[in-house]
Parts: sequence; C-alpha cells; structure tokens
Amino acid sequence: MTTGARQRGTALSRLVAGTRRIGEQTVFYGTALASTGDAVRRYPAEVLRLIAVMGMGTGALAVIGGTVVIIGFLTLSTGALIAVQGYNTLSNVGIEALTGFLSAFLNVRFIAPSTAGLALAATIGAGATAQIGAMRINEEIDALEVMSIRAITYLASTRIVAGVLVVIPLYTVAVLASFLATRLGTTFVYGQSRGVYDHYFSTFLQPMDLMWSFVAALGMAAAVMTIHTYYGFTATGGPAGVGEAVGRAVRTSVTATVFVLLTITLAVYGQSGNFHLSG
Amino acid sequence: MAQSFSTSGSVPGWARPAVAVGDFVVLAGETFAAVFRRPFAWRELLDQIWFVARVSIVPTIMLSIPYTVLIVFTLNVVLLDVGAGDLSGAGAALASVTQVGPVVTAIVVSGAGATAMCADLGARTIRDEIDAMTVMGVNPIQALVVPRVIAATFVALMLYSVVAVVGLAGSYVFVVFVQHVTPGAFVAGLTLLTGLPQVIVSLGKALLFGLSAGLIACYKGLSVGGGPTSVGTAVNETVVFSFMALFLINILATAFGVKVAP
Repeated sequence: MTTGARQRGTALSRLVAGTRRIGEQTVFYGTALASTGDAVRRYPAEVLRLIAVMGMGTGALAVIGGTVVIIGFLTLSTGALIAVQGYNTLSNVGIEALTGFLSAFLNVRFIAPSTAGLALAATIGAGATAQIGAMRINEEIDALEVMSIRAITYLASTRIVAGVLVVIPLYTVAVLASFLATRLGTTFVYGQSRGVYDHYFSTFLQPMDLMWSFVAALGMAAAVMTIHTYYGFTATGGPAGVGEAVGRAVRTSVTATVFVLLTITLAVYGQSGNFHLSG
Repeated sequence: MAQSFSTSGSVPGWARPAVAVGDFVVLAGETFAAVFRRPFAWRELLDQIWFVARVSIVPTIMLSIPYTVLIVFTLNVVLLDVGAGDLSGAGAALASVTQVGPVVTAIVVSGAGATAMCADLGARTIRDEIDAMTVMGVNPIQALVVPRVIAATFVALMLYSVVAVVGLAGSYVFVVFVQHVTPGAFVAGLTLLTGLPQVIVSLGKALLFGLSAGLIACYKGLSVGGGPTSVGTAVNETVVFSFMALFLINILATAFGVKVAP
C-alpha cells in the first residue's frame, strides 16, 4: 500500500470511528434522558443518596466544605470582579453610582450562570465521571447488567435527576454570593453609599431575568450530568484511563455549558432585550 | 522528595489539608530551584508544549467565541437601549481583552491541559514509575515537573493572544452582521477603554494562571495514592483546585490592574 493510500485509509477509518462515536453518544443521551422517569420511580433511595453525596462532595473536596462552598467561593470571586472592574470602569466616565445596576444586570444574566456552569462541571460532573469510570474498570457495571439491572437507568439517569435537583439550592447560593460580593466590594472597599447602591440595584433587578437565569442553570446541570456520565460509562484503560476520561469530559461539558447559556440567552433576550431604562 | 508525599498517612485527619498545603509549597519551591539546574529537559519541554497546545486549541476557539458573543450581546442590550450602539466596540474590547481572554485561557489550560497532565503523572505514580526514576538517580521534579510547568505557562501566554483575537473577530461578526452596528464605529471604539497597559496586565494574568494550573496538576498527579478510583479523583480535585486558584488570582490581579493601568 502506498503512503497516500494508507493515509486515505486511516482518514476513512477515523471518519467511521468518529461517526460511530456520535451515534453511540446520541443513543446514550437519549436512553439516559428517556429513563429519568424510571429512575425516580424505581430507585428513589439511590436518587436521594446521590443528592446528599453531590451536595457535600467526597474526599479532599468534602474537607474544604463540599460543592456548596466551592460554588459559593467561585461566584463570590466573580461577583467581586464586577465590583472591581465595573466600579473602576464606570468611575472613568463619572457614573460609578450605576455599579448596583451592573450587579443586577450582569450577575443575573451572564456572570452567575456561566460561573455556576463551570463549577458544576468541575465538582459534581467530574466526580460522577470518576465514580462511574472506576465502576466500569472494576467491571461493576458488567456485574449490574448480569444481575439484569438496567445500568444506564441506575447509574446515569439517577445522577441526571439528582444533579438537576441539587442545582436548585446550589444556584440559589451562587446568585446570593455574587450579589453579596458585589455589594460588599462596592460599599465597604470602594466606599459608595449603601443607599445609592441599593437604589440602582433594586430598580434594575427583574424577577423574570432571575427565573430565566435559573432555567439556564437547570439546563446546564442536565447537560453536564449527561456528558459526564457518558464519559464515565465508556472509560477504558485502567486507572489512568479514568483520569483521561475525567479530563475529556470536563473539556466537553465546559464547552456545552457555554452553548446552553448562549442559546437560552439569545432565545429569551434576542428579540426585545427585556430591558427598559426608563422603567 | 518522594517521602514528603507519603508522610500524610501518620497525621490526624484534621491536619491533612495543612500537610497537603505544605507538600504543595515544597513542590513549588523545588520546581523553581530545579529550573536553573542542568541538564534541562528540552525534549520533554517541546513534547509537553506541543501536547498542551494540541489539546487546548479547539476548546479555546469553541469557548472564546460564545463567551465574547454572550457578553457583547448582554452589554449591547443596554447600549442599544440608550442609543449608544456605536460604543459597543469599547465594551467588546474591554470584555475580551481584560476579562474573557485571561479567564477562558485559565479555563482551557486547567480544564484541558492540567487534567491530561495530572492523569498522565498519576498513571505513572501508581505504576511506581516515579519511584523507579528516583532509584535510577533521575530527579522527577527536574525531568517531569519543570518541563510541564513551563509548558503550561508558555501555552497559557500564547493562548491568551488567540482568545483575545478570536473573541474580537467573533464579536465583530456578531455585532456588525447580526446587530447592525456600523463597522467603522465598532473598530473606532475598540481602543477607547483598552490599550497596551491592559494587554500587559492581562498577559501577566495568563502567565500566573498557567503557572498555578501546571503546579497544581503536577502536585495532584505525583501525590496520587493507590486504588482504581485514585487517578479519577485526583483529576477531579485538580480541576476544582485550579479553578479556585484561577478565580482568586483573577480578582487580585484585576484589583492590581485597575490601580496600575486605569
């Protein structure tokens, strides 16, 4: 075989393998999402146990306070970022009084959801890949199937349900932390009067925006858990393979969360913007 | 240095995090000392740079365009409402050069590069390859950690430029062709709030991000201990700790940046 023919051969086989992988992923995602009802009906105890585990985290992550503290810390720092960058940029043009508006507008629509998406992928998502991957290479998943337990329902669908449920309190903490950090940064550190900040903050805070922000967080949680359970489910190659699967899953799901957020943002605010300066 | 990772078995549970912090500081110190020691692992450095760049470039482009479009779209909702759509270039430049650029670089280097590094080093650790190197008189810090940390730092610097340029190009297409802002006004607004000082501060941020992500990945990879779940857990912790470090560095560096380059 000439070099050109061999290259064409590998390119073709890579195309075939890629296409097959897309098909396998689609089947997995479809099965996992379709069986969420079954998961709640048949394995409610497992779902409750997973919710508890996901809230607290495991191992070294539980020592520093679990998923709640990690997500709270990340949004606290991005909220403070609004105070630092926003206050200073606005005071360049003499309208630093509007930092409260920035907090109500940017935190809700962009900063808190995107940070929470990252944090979900890093904490509960990567944790799920590590757990399921370890089960796969220990042949525990094969054992489940031999016992005629539907493995995708028992392992993946329960985690999707648990992830979507656990994100409701987690995201509440995330949004509150981002508001708190911007307010403290602006009023304590930069010395703006609290009345000015609160006035512009409550004038521009729209309940509907918060609702859509929650919808985005739920969508991102579902995407993260589906992707991460898939990569855990298909891990191969011993302990090292589990590590690589976690890395690949994080890479994919971080990209997916941004696209979910972008789609929801453009769909909700694309036409009107839902923003009125004059009230 | 292999011993310093194994002492944590004998300390009480509440002191473990302190031991981990201490081990990390020791590893960082040894790494900085080993940078100037001969022989320098050139081949490994080039391999690692190519490797990190290869796994990072696609996620970088896939992340920088939607992030910049999202923030430009959100800002333009306000700007178009007050009739200041011509200023959207200033917002796009400020967003992509000072915030989206360094943060996306950080996410990609820790999410794609550091996870792969940690998985690779962790696999070698549980197969006792690191101990074998030490027995043969090869310093694993010098042979493995130094090239990885330098590669992560270097690729972070390079990726920052890619993110900033791709982000600006993406927002130009979005703003001009979708939101119908005048192209000339967009380009003229780019340098209104953002100039060379902001770019230099952001490059400094990207450098710190790459350095910390590389060090955290190497530390977690070398301190993996037994069991099939260990490497997966170590990679998970690498992602969480490097994200936390990155956001902390970002807020401190931004506060520093607005003081020196307002």
